[in-house]
Amino acid sequence: MNIASTIFSNLLAGDPREGRTLWLPPQDSNLAVNSDLMFWWINIICYFFFIGIVIALVILVVKYRMKKDRPFRTDGPLHHLPLETTWAVVPLLIVIFIFYFGFRDYLNFMTPPKNSYEIAVTAQKWGWLFKYPNGATSDDLYVPTGRPVKLSMRSSDVLHCCYIPDFRVKKDLVPGRYSYLWFQTDDVTPEGWGHNLFCAEYCGTGHSNMNRKVYALAQPEFDAWLTAQSQWLDKIPEEELYFRAGPKLYARCQQCHSLDGTKGIGPSWKGLWARVSGGEGGDGKFVDGTGYQSQIGAGKQYQTPEDYIRSSILNPGEHVVAGYANAMPSFKGQLNDKGIDAVIGFMKHMDEFDTKGKYLKEVPPAPKVSMK
Amino acid sequence: MTTINISQPLDTAARPDNYITHTRGFMSWAFTLDHKRIGVMYLVSVLVSFFVGGVFALLVRTELLTPGQTIPGVTADVYNHFFTLHGAIMVFLVIIPSIPAALGNFIMPIMLGAKDVAFPRLNLFSYYLWIFGALFTVSSLLLGGFDTGWTFYTPYSTTTPAGGVIPALTGVFILGFSSIFTGLNFIVTVHKLRPPGMTWFRMPLFLWAIYATAIIQVLATPVLGITLLLLIVERAFNIGIFDPSMGGDPVLYQHFFWFYSHPAVYIMILPAMGIISELISVHAHRHIFGYKFIALSSIAIAIFSFLVWGHHMFISGQSPLLNTLFSLISFSVAIPSAVKVFNWMSTLYKGNIVLNTPMLYALAFLVLFTIGGLTGIHLATLNTDVHLHDTYFVVAHFHYVMMGSALIGMIGGLHHWWPKITGRMYNENLGRIGCITVFIGFNVTFFTQFFLGSQGMPRRYYDYQPEYQIYHVISTIGSYIMASGFLLTAYYLLASLFGGRLAPANPWGGRSLEWQCASPPPFDNFSTQPRVGDCYDFSAIRWDEKEQGYVVDRALDPTLNPNLAAKNSH
Amino acid sequence: MTTLQSQPNHAVDAHGADGAHDGAHGSAEHAKYPFLQHHFDTPHHQFDSAKLGMWLFLATEVLFFGGLFVAYAVLRNRFPEVFSYSSHYLDTIMGGINTCVLILSSLTMALAVRFAQTNRKTGLIICLILTFMGAIGFMVIKYFEYSHKIHDNLVWGTTFYVPPHDAVGELEAKELSVAPTTSITLNPVNPAVFAVPVSAQTPPVDASAIKQASRAPTGMATPTQMAKAEGLPTGEHDPSFAHPATHLVDKKMPANSHVFFAIYYAMTGLHGVHVLAGMVVIAWLLKRAIRGDFSSDYFTPVDVGGLYWHIVDLIWIFLFPLFYLIH
Repeated sequence: MNIASTIFSNLLAGDPREGRTLWLPPQDSNLAVNSDLMFWWINIICYFFFIGIVIALVILVVKYRMKKDRPFRTDGPLHHLPLETTWAVVPLLIVIFIFYFGFRDYLNFMTPPKNSYEIAVTAQKWGWLFKYPNGATSDDLYVPTGRPVKLSMRSSDVLHCCYIPDFRVKKDLVPGRYSYLWFQTDDVTPEGWGHNLFCAEYCGTGHSNMNRKVYALAQPEFDAWLTAQSQWLDKIPEEELYFRAGPKLYARCQQCHSLDGTKGIGPSWKGLWARVSGGEGGDGKFVDGTGYQSQIGAGKQYQTPEDYIRSSILNPGEHVVAGYANAMPSFKGQLNDKGIDAVIGFMKHMDEFDTKGKYLKEVPPAPKVSMK
Repeated sequence: MTTINISQPLDTAARPDNYITHTRGFMSWAFTLDHKRIGVMYLVSVLVSFFVGGVFALLVRTELLTPGQTIPGVTADVYNHFFTLHGAIMVFLVIIPSIPAALGNFIMPIMLGAKDVAFPRLNLFSYYLWIFGALFTVSSLLLGGFDTGWTFYTPYSTTTPAGGVIPALTGVFILGFSSIFTGLNFIVTVHKLRPPGMTWFRMPLFLWAIYATAIIQVLATPVLGITLLLLIVERAFNIGIFDPSMGGDPVLYQHFFWFYSHPAVYIMILPAMGIISELISVHAHRHIFGYKFIALSSIAIAIFSFLVWGHHMFISGQSPLLNTLFSLISFSVAIPSAVKVFNWMSTLYKGNIVLNTPMLYALAFLVLFTIGGLTGIHLATLNTDVHLHDTYFVVAHFHYVMMGSALIGMIGGLHHWWPKITGRMYNENLGRIGCITVFIGFNVTFFTQFFLGSQGMPRRYYDYQPEYQIYHVISTIGSYIMASGFLLTAYYLLASLFGGRLAPANPWGGRSLEWQCASPPPFDNFSTQPRVGDCYDFSAIRWDEKEQGYVVDRALDPTLNPNLAAKNSH
Repeated sequence: MTTLQSQPNHAVDAHGADGAHDGAHGSAEHAKYPFLQHHFDTPHHQFDSAKLGMWLFLATEVLFFGGLFVAYAVLRNRFPEVFSYSSHYLDTIMGGINTCVLILSSLTMALAVRFAQTNRKTGLIICLILTFMGAIGFMVIKYFEYSHKIHDNLVWGTTFYVPPHDAVGELEAKELSVAPTTSITLNPVNPAVFAVPVSAQTPPVDASAIKQASRAPTGMATPTQMAKAEGLPTGEHDPSFAHPATHLVDKKMPANSHVFFAIYYAMTGLHGVHVLAGMVVIAWLLKRAIRGDFSSDYFTPVDVGGLYWHIVDLIWIFLFPLFYLIH
């Protein structure tokens, strides 16, 4: 078993942690310890029964093969009540024990400590948004070590499921209700590496890419990160917004909006600004039959193209471009004005980015953001 | 008997009239009310569906060889359609009807000693419902496909832009009624058409299994029907019973769905267990051990099956109290399952085992079912399930049960009754090679997935982290091995139809009634009323060189020799 | 019980397509009873089997409706105020009359079975006709109930929050000038306006089947708020509606009242389909009764048809109080 474990843990290159076995990844949360213990006990019981059954089968088949030219032996017993009762009752007792220990530990899974650090999680096709108590948001999950963390989760479209294998936690996100999970991790995530966070409930096209990283930071580093994270937009001067914040924000739009003209779930952003500001492609229509020109402009519903983009981000169902489903979620409460400015700037300066959203010009040195 | 290789010339003229030759022409099959012909039509349809579902499975496995796109043109959306079709076809079109509707239709009335099922017209109607259901399900492909997964979880299924969801739901709805009518027919047949002497506890265990299955079919499937109907109107008219934005509850859908779909697992596995009881006792030529425990454990499983659906929803937001109760009750299924496995093993003790292809399938079943059953413990335990739920561990577990057990049991039964159905023997050596290839391929494919799952790989993933690739590669290679085994099996079975040795009435030495009529059976099954004895008593079975099959030695048969009966009754 | 050795004369009944089958040595029972199928021994045997089959079918029917009853219970538990309030929108008198009609038709059906058993052909025919009339009466009353509700827009789903149909016509005539912010993309009455994604990877779409995936949960909004949120005219302040949408201006109506009507239509609609199926069965029985197929020897179809009709009645007996009576 040890050799096999080594082979397989080597195959999982890039994971600097120890403790991976053939069956399970390293234990990185308090809940993993008991859950894994249970797993191993069940495994041992399974090995015992499985090996026993296979050995018995081999012996029986070899020993009682039919002998040629000999009449059938008919001396086998037809039934044996004590024996049969035994193998009905013994498995029952075993599984009742398993149930009990599983149940006892499960209560622990279901009971977040009162002093948990609470992070709000919103899932939507096909991304995650983590919102911290101070209002900061992030796409990857950052958690402090050494204290319980509670995720308070909701979905804004279909079922999703938050799954962090290294922490052995998983919970569905059901639209229309809140669900919770908690864990406590004591190990700081190694540099240059992150725990996987998967969506485990099938949710369509982007399901398999709806994964993010989890980083556990020691409390001081976490606090510093949190402060920086809540202020990252504020620290960027207005004129640098589009290339500093734009690509970062676009990461959350790229599932549906391409930059190279490919039609996705939503329209490509290539040439978008020209279209909405009356340039090339400005004769486009909305699904209600009205055109860009009849809706955008002074005295019309949207005074400026900026107004239209802003409205499309906050209230996407208002005017859906013809040829697309009304599939976009509202970003109300997720993007502040500065964020929207950044996105609009990004759209305006599309030619300065490559088709992946990478800024083509040299980024000037970042303004000093205090990490402490 | 293991050494028979004599190839007899094809000589249909020498055969007495049977159900195949009785009438001829397309219409005589399309409108037949004969349970044997309907069974054969089901068998062909199910095997064709199995092939189609298998192709989708291979596409899915091939796509997963590398992270991201592997097959040109197979995008995430196409992949989602593939695995959905694989699941829906295999579950609704293949496994659920495979044993009860195909083999059960053919074998059950003969085994029982009846001339037909209770309602022959309803039986034919069920078959055509199956055809219509299959057409609807497959037609969804032309209407935009469906990418919901075979579970049709809402709100995804009610909002996905894929255009084929409603036709697919309609198809499954119709298939459900096909299943209900088959089950209803079989219950009445077992109750009302048992001939004199065929008491409940003389019925072969296959019939007990079919009976228990039919109870589940009749009681669980209507709930699937109404659930799918609600889902259809939800999608078409937006009525909001399951839609959270309309005040509905998506978890309610999951309850409804699993209220059917968990029992459906036993619709799949119970008849396979019945087949294994037959295979093991016939090919070990040994009275089944603990008949009553096996028979009643089938009924127990049927009852438990209705009480455990919530274990599919441990992390879905169901209340912890319900999770606890469902976990506890789920474990109760371990008891009848353990009873069956141990009783089958005891049947081998002091037996006269012949390692024919059907016996090899039965042994494969025992190993695979043990693995499938034991890994169920990990998933029924609350805290370990949190980690394993919706990962490849679950995928591996249910493939061990649904494919490794239910389908392997079905294919074992197909080999067992192939001489009876077609009147031809297949090539025994190729049969053994095929079985071993499938067994090895299966384990390589799916045992790997246990590691994949416990390492954290979620299911239904098109793209994955590179660290999981090694497992996916091994699994895919296994699936190719398994596919080659199935292709070999298809080859020698089809070849036997054209050049196979003519089958004797009783090639294996079985005692149940189907071995007492000719192979293939005559049109009305029995020309004279068969005597019903102990169908697991092999003491009077003798090999007959002239017949190239087994015969009953009348002098040694307690049912034919009253003196012996008095002395030797069980 | 006679033995199964005998070969039936009348195998055609069960094996019609296998007409070539030669049942030379028919038994006395099969010769005497032309309806007796070849795999049954006696008419009684066949009758028992048919009846057991029907009871099993009724069990599936109960479970079929059982799903809906569970959905009713769950929704009622979720929104007790909705169920208590919305039931006032149903017409107890009409429902009551329908209950009486169905109970009476059950009686005539039971009498029909009795007449069949006692060889009274005229009584059988009259009772079947009366049962059929009862079914028609039920459906006619149901039609009036439904059409009234649909006229008042007491319907399922988001349509519940759209003004009645003729008002929509006016709306469209005015080019939606009633409410300047109206976005008709949310109006399921007009499926033509639904967006159809034409993305190369996305398969073609059943336009009418799409709904607003991304809409945030609006479960807690009152109907008028919800209508406003969806940009739909509420009718609240708008005197221009020829037919005011009564329930939309009903300020006391609790949120999510559409749920009551959704389950109401689902359950009564499915029941209605069963009544229609029952009418087909009764018509078929009537045809056979007139032809003189039934006698004290053979009345199985009347008996099992009757059983079916009773379960249809029985389900209504549960639906009536659940929707109309209890608050």
